[in-house]
Amino acid sequence: MMEHTDYRASILADPHSTDAELRAHREACAECRDFTERLLRFESRLERALRVDILTKAAEPLPTDEPQPVADVLPFARKAGHDARAPRRWMAIAASVLLGVAVAGGIWLTLPQQSLAADVVAHMAGEPEAWQRTEAVADSELDQVLKDSKLRLKPDAGVVSYASSCAFRGHRVPHLVVQTPSGPVTVMVLVHESVRKPMRFDDEGYRGTIVPVPGHGSIAVLMRGLTVGSGEIERIAARVDDSIVWTR
Amino acid sequence: MNDEAGGIQRRTRFQALCQSLRPDLLRFAFWLSRDRALAEDVVQESMLRAWKAQDSLLDESAAKPWLLTIVRREYARTFERKRFPTVDVDELVAKEEPMLAAAEEQDIADVRAAIMKLPDEYREPLVLQVLMGFSTAEIARELDLSGPAVLTRLFRARRRLRAACGEDTTLDPQE
Repeated sequence: MMEHTDYRASILADPHSTDAELRAHREACAECRDFTERLLRFESRLERALRVDILTKAAEPLPTDEPQPVADVLPFARKAGHDARAPRRWMAIAASVLLGVAVAGGIWLTLPQQSLAADVVAHMAGEPEAWQRTEAVADSELDQVLKDSKLRLKPDAGVVSYASSCAFRGHRVPHLVVQTPSGPVTVMVLVHESVRKPMRFDDEGYRGTIVPVPGHGSIAVLMRGLTVGSGEIERIAARVDDSIVWTR
Repeated sequence: MNDEAGGIQRRTRFQALCQSLRPDLLRFAFWLSRDRALAEDVVQESMLRAWKAQDSLLDESAAKPWLLTIVRREYARTFERKRFPTVDVDELVAKEEPMLAAAEEQDIADVRAAIMKLPDEYREPLVLQVLMGFSTAEIARELDLSGPAVLTRLFRARRRLRAACGEDTTLDPQE
């Protein structure tokens, strides 16, 4: 049997290791199991600590008629003659942030959950094709996407028109589009992201909510456009939550 | 005409790709530099370099490590271009305090301060593993290290962090 010190050294280097020998030792040794549980609690703090709240400027819509110079096309392009490190710019940004917080009652800027919402919206920009499909995906395709996250959907969940296992914040997560009477709804099942309470967001033309799922992280549900009210989105989120069957 | 439409489509896809990865790249650059303004600059310059070199990205699923490599190189270039003054790590923590303390709980802020004080050689593989989701082999490739060397650094990084954050380390193996 593996030595305790070897197990702990290995698990300290990679707490999420799926190595069979490590798993066997953990199952046989209560002390190392406790050690691992404490380490995983710390790992959760570490993950949250590393996700500092970085404010990001989302992409401007691209012109479709003629090519633009790179500096006009890319949202991150530095403008000519502009010193990005100029203190005045940061003072202006800081002032804008403070003003925004004061005016909006601190709706959007500081909490980790809000950073999570920003990342969800940013992910949407990376997969615009997800909204285009309306036909149901094959059951086998959907099963494959859900399998890794240890869940399945009840038959009455609605037509799933897009299913992809996406890289998000260092994990693979199911990214689904479900056709509902209110229109297509994107669902991201975020088993590695915990939120304390439901959080609404409106950003970059998306309206949505992230709701906690005790023991299974959270679910992000969002729609394009602002025509559907937040209340309706929360009702949709509740239906989505109800239609998920966790298999672990 | 088709070339033009293809160019716009290509630009759109590339922009969307960069946009989706930008938050993680900014966080990576921040933990690399421990300086928010510098991280913004590094990522901006990296995106421009990526734009110019986008033809070398043959597989979009490999975009994340590809962009991350560009960010690391760009960060290294900032030191070639300019010699930054030596700064005490406590000053760095104080300088970035508003962002580090933006956590709801004090214990998260404490972990952030402890990460800031980790030596670069331990902090970088830890960020690659925890934040970017890299495997040991991917970290080894990125940092040009052996697999065992990466594991040793990750082990030391967590030991130091746990001790700095007041965790019970009595059962931690000694080196």
